[in-house]
Amino acid sequence: MTLKESPGASPVTGRSDRRAGTSPRRRSGRPGAGTLATFIAPGLMLFLLFVIVPVLFAAYVAFFRWNGLGGVPTDFVGLENFRNLLQDEVFLGDLWRLGLIVVLSLAVQLPLSFGLAMLLHQRFPGRTAFRLLFFVPYVLTEAVTAVLFRLVLSPNRGFADSLLATVGIDTHIGWLSDRNIVMFVIFGILTWKFFGFHMILFLAGRQNIPDELYEAAAIDGATGAQAFRSITLPLMGPTVRMIVFLSIIGSVQLFDLVYVLTGGGPFHASETLAITMYEQGFQRNQIGYASALSIAMFLISLVFALLYQRFVLNRDLQGSLTNAGGNR
Amino acid sequence: MRKPLRRLRAALAAGAAASLALTAAACGDSGESDADITWWHIQNQDPLMSTWQEFADDFSADNDLTIDVQAIENQAFKDRMGTASQSGDVPDIFHTWGGGVLAEQVEAGLVQDLTGKLDCIDQINPIALEPYTIDGKLYGMPFDAGVVGFWYNMDLFAQAGIDAPPATWDEFLTAVQALKDADIAPIALAGADKWPGHYYWTYLAMRTVGLDGLEAAAEAGDFSDEGFIQAGEMVAELAAMEPFQPGFESAVYGEADGQSAVMGEGLAAMELMGQWAPQAQRDNSGTEGPENLGFFPFPTVTGGAGTTTEWLGGGNGYAVAADAPDEALDFLCNFMEPENYSRAITEGNLTPVAADPASVAPEMNEDTQKVVDALATATGTQLYLDQAYPPAIGGVINDATEGLLLGQVTPEDFVTMVNDAWAAEA
Repeated sequence: MTLKESPGASPVTGRSDRRAGTSPRRRSGRPGAGTLATFIAPGLMLFLLFVIVPVLFAAYVAFFRWNGLGGVPTDFVGLENFRNLLQDEVFLGDLWRLGLIVVLSLAVQLPLSFGLAMLLHQRFPGRTAFRLLFFVPYVLTEAVTAVLFRLVLSPNRGFADSLLATVGIDTHIGWLSDRNIVMFVIFGILTWKFFGFHMILFLAGRQNIPDELYEAAAIDGATGAQAFRSITLPLMGPTVRMIVFLSIIGSVQLFDLVYVLTGGGPFHASETLAITMYEQGFQRNQIGYASALSIAMFLISLVFALLYQRFVLNRDLQGSLTNAGGNR
Repeated sequence: MRKPLRRLRAALAAGAAASLALTAAACGDSGESDADITWWHIQNQDPLMSTWQEFADDFSADNDLTIDVQAIENQAFKDRMGTASQSGDVPDIFHTWGGGVLAEQVEAGLVQDLTGKLDCIDQINPIALEPYTIDGKLYGMPFDAGVVGFWYNMDLFAQAGIDAPPATWDEFLTAVQALKDADIAPIALAGADKWPGHYYWTYLAMRTVGLDGLEAAAEAGDFSDEGFIQAGEMVAELAAMEPFQPGFESAVYGEADGQSAVMGEGLAAMELMGQWAPQAQRDNSGTEGPENLGFFPFPTVTGGAGTTTEWLGGGNGYAVAADAPDEALDFLCNFMEPENYSRAITEGNLTPVAADPASVAPEMNEDTQKVVDALATATGTQLYLDQAYPPAIGGVINDATEGLLLGQVTPEDFVTMVNDAWAAEA
C-alpha cells in the first residue's frame, strides 16, 4: 500500500494525514521574494565571508609555498604541496588511523549505543537516571575530557593503574605512551564521550515508532525477535543512517580531544588529519602545505557526503516513516 | 517533508566540510585590545606572574596608561603567537627567544628595530644580545640568559654509587646503567613535548662536529657529515637502554606528572634542561625540589671536536611590535631599573643578563650561580636549534629526534629528513 492510495487517515500509523492537513497552510504562508531576500541576506553574507571566502582562499594558498607571514603568497609551486602530501607518511598514516576509528565506531560504538537505547526504552525503575547518567560525558567539552583522562591514565599515579592494582593487576600499561595501543585507548575515550549522545538519538528514533505496530505484530503472532527484525530495525533506518553520517564526519574532524590527550604522539601514532594540518600550518609555518592538507580533508568530507547522500540517505528522501511502512 | 530533510542534510554536509577549511584559513587571535599597550609573556606561574603584573600596574599608574597583560603557558604562547603573526597583528610587547623564529617575524615586518632606541641597553651583557641581533640590528631585549646542562639529584647518584658526574659519553652511559641497576629511573624526559628531546641530539652533534661544524652545516643546509649520523646513533644507543621514566613517551614538561615534576619529586635522577629547571621543578611538583641538586655540562665524545665549555643555551626576552607606541620601549627599560631587575632575579631565580651581575644580584641563588659561572667560562654558545632555525626546520629536528628516541627513525633517516627540510626552505 502506498501513500497515494490513502488520502485520509494512514492505515499504518492511524494518524490523520499530516501532508493533507498542512500543505495548504504552508502554501498560503509562503513569503514573497522581498521578505526572503531581507531575511536571508545577513546570514548569506556571513556565510560567504566566513565560510566560502576562507575555503576559496585556502584552495588558492594550497598552490604556494608560504609561511603565512606578511601580505599574500608569492612563491607559486603548482601541485608540489599535493604531491608531497601523497608521499607524506604522516598524512598516509592519518588516513589509515581515520579508517581505523571509522571501522571501530561503526562496529563497536554504534551497536553499543543502539543496544543501550533499546534497553533504556524498556520501562524499569531508575530509567531516567540512567539516561541522564549516560548522557553526561557528552556535555563535557573535548578538551576537558582529554585533561581528565590524562590524569586517569597518568603513568605514575593514575586512577586507571591504581584501580587495576586494587584488583591485583600490577602491570604498568602505557595507556598513552605505547604506540601499539594508544589508538585503541583513544577510541575507548571517544566511545565513553559519545555513546550517550548516539544513545539519545537512537532512543528518540525508537520512541518515534508507534506502539500500534508492535500490537498488530503481536496479534499476528510475531515473536519479540521477529518484531525487532521486521519493525524496529527497518523503522530505525533513517536514524541509523544519520548517526553513521555524523559519526564519520566527526572522525574526519577529530582534533581537540587527541591534541590535548597526546598531541598526536608518541611519534605520530595517534595523529589525526586535523592535527597534522595544525602542526604544519601553525607550528612549522607551512601554510601552503597545511592548506593543501585542508583541501584534501575538504574533498574527503565532500566526496563522502555526496556519495552518502546519493547512495545511502537516498532511501530516506522518500519520507522515512510512512514509506518504510508502506513498502512492506 | 522532502525538501526540509534534504536541505538539512545539505547544510550538514556543507557545515561539516566548511568547518574543516575554516580551521586552516581563519585564525582569529590577535594583539587587538583597547589598552594602550598589550603584553604577552610566558611567566604564567607565581612568583613571577605576580611580579610582572605589579611591574605593569606600577608603570601604567606612573605613566597614566593602560597595559593589557596576558600570561600564557609556553606551548600555548607559541601557538597563539603563530596565529597572531599570520594575521599580521602582534601584541605591542611579546616574549621571544630570538633566532630563526624572530627572524621570520622581522622579515614579515612585524617587529620594531630597537637599535639605538633603548637607553638601558648599556646595562646588558652584549653576549646576551646575540640571539636577538639579526643582520646587525637589535630586535629584542633579553631579561634572562642561560645554558642547558644536566641537573642531577646528588642523593640518587650517591645511592647508585656514582661518585663524580660523568665527563665523557661513555662514563655517562655507565652512570645510566648504574642508576638502572639501583632501580632508579636515570633520566626524566618529556617525550610528547619533543623540544626537551632535541637537546640530546643537538648536544651530541655539538660534541662530535663541534660548534663550527654545526654552524657550517646550517650555513650549507647539509647535515650529511659523519658526525651527525654518529650523534643520531648515540641518541639511539641511549634510548635502547630505556633510561627514561615510565610513560615518558606521553609525558609533557610542565604537568603535574611531567618531566619537571618527576625531577622535583626525586623520581628520576637527572634531566637535560635549561637555567629555569630548578624553579620549574619546585613549581610543577609542588615540593621544595631535590635537596641536593647538582649541575654538570653535557659530556664530551671521544674523538669529537666539541668541548664542555661549549654550551647549548638561550634566554628569554621581549620584542616590540613594529607599530607599538614609544611607551612600550620605556616599559622594557623599566625592567632593567636596578630595583626592579634585582627583584625579578631574586623572586624568579632568573639568570641575570646584566653586564655586571653582581650589581643587580649580589647574592644569587646557588643554582643560578652555577649557570652564571658556566656562562662566564663559556667558549661558545649555540641557541636551541628549534628557535635558531626557521620553524619548518626546527620542527623537523624536534620531530625526528622523537623518532630516534622511540626507535622509529634511523640516524640516516634523521639526516635525510633534516636535509630535505633545508632544501625545501631554500
